[in-house]
Amino acid sequence: MEAIDHPPIFRLPGIPDHVTYTWLVMIILAALTFAASRNLQLVPRGIQNFLEVVLEQFIQMIDDVMGHEGRRYLPLLATLGLFILTGNLMSLVPGLAGPTGNLNTTAACAIVVFVAYHGIGARKQGVVAYLKHFAGPVPLPLKPLMFVIELISHLARPLSLTLRLFGNMVGGHILLAVIFLLMGLDGLIGWALSGSVVGAVVGGIGGVVTIVFTVGFLYPLKILVAFLQAFIFVMLTMLYISGAIEETDHHSEHH
Amino acid sequence: MRRSLILGGVTVLVFPTAALAADGASGGWIGPFAVIAAGIGMAIAAGLCGLGQGRAVASAVDAMARQPGAAARIQTAMIIGLALIESLAIYTLVIALILLFVKGIQFS
Repeated sequence: MEAIDHPPIFRLPGIPDHVTYTWLVMIILAALTFAASRNLQLVPRGIQNFLEVVLEQFIQMIDDVMGHEGRRYLPLLATLGLFILTGNLMSLVPGLAGPTGNLNTTAACAIVVFVAYHGIGARKQGVVAYLKHFAGPVPLPLKPLMFVIELISHLARPLSLTLRLFGNMVGGHILLAVIFLLMGLDGLIGWALSGSVVGAVVGGIGGVVTIVFTVGFLYPLKILVAFLQAFIFVMLTMLYISGAIEETDHHSEHH
Repeated sequence: MRRSLILGGVTVLVFPTAALAADGASGGWIGPFAVIAAGIGMAIAAGLCGLGQGRAVASAVDAMARQPGAAARIQTAMIIGLALIESLAIYTLVIALILLFVKGIQFS
């Protein structure tokens, strides 16, 4: 790990990097929303227009998946989506660290989702009815078995949310780092900075070619992955919530 | 043929042990095998994940060609399915990362 480990430029001593950059993401998002909502206008311009477009995309998605009543959960979903998207994109900026490249951040998001959708389901249907819907539409002797299976599958959900986001982000970072390592970026830059003319020419050109090659091929892929993972996270959260709030009357469906 | 195979197997089994006995630092004799296991496991996971995703995308594109009107919904479902399939390979990636990078796990 040491060979491919590039710590971020700005670090607070004694504080882990992902916490620092989580706060940076929070500051960016808060500043954006504050700047957009400070002077609201009926015909939006500039940054207000941009954020309205973003939120309308979220509302569109919610309407498609959860129906109209899903708009109640827009704050949760949009916050998660914007935070994860900003964190993913921030990890692509050289010199910054991504908060979503750490297991703790993604686990925090997944635990929020877990608690939120169980809370929403229990409040919507009542605790007993919600627990009953775990047992599923099976005959009575099979209900304990189904209950245990459902419980395990629900417990696996935050695990899979956590590991999916974390693994995609870290896998991308390691891919980039390994490709830079294999193409000798550090050596080329060191050569370019060594002071000799030949080193400056060859190392400089080689470094630029390396960076352009990698950035031109891998960065579009990583930007796609950043958007896709944020989308997946929000979409799965929506599916979990709509699975928890749906009025389950399985017997009438199956007979 | 068989003798060279046996020799290769013995080399694989013996040499990391000898190399690490001199090194002695990271986690006993299991370290080199962890590297091998990470590579092989990731290869299997990537290959089978590619097979699964290929089947899923093939069916989705087929369905989209038959029903262009439903393309958006099919695409959404396909992306969710791809993410769920991909997460299985991601689990293996995480295990590989643990095997490669996490120091101080006592395997024995």
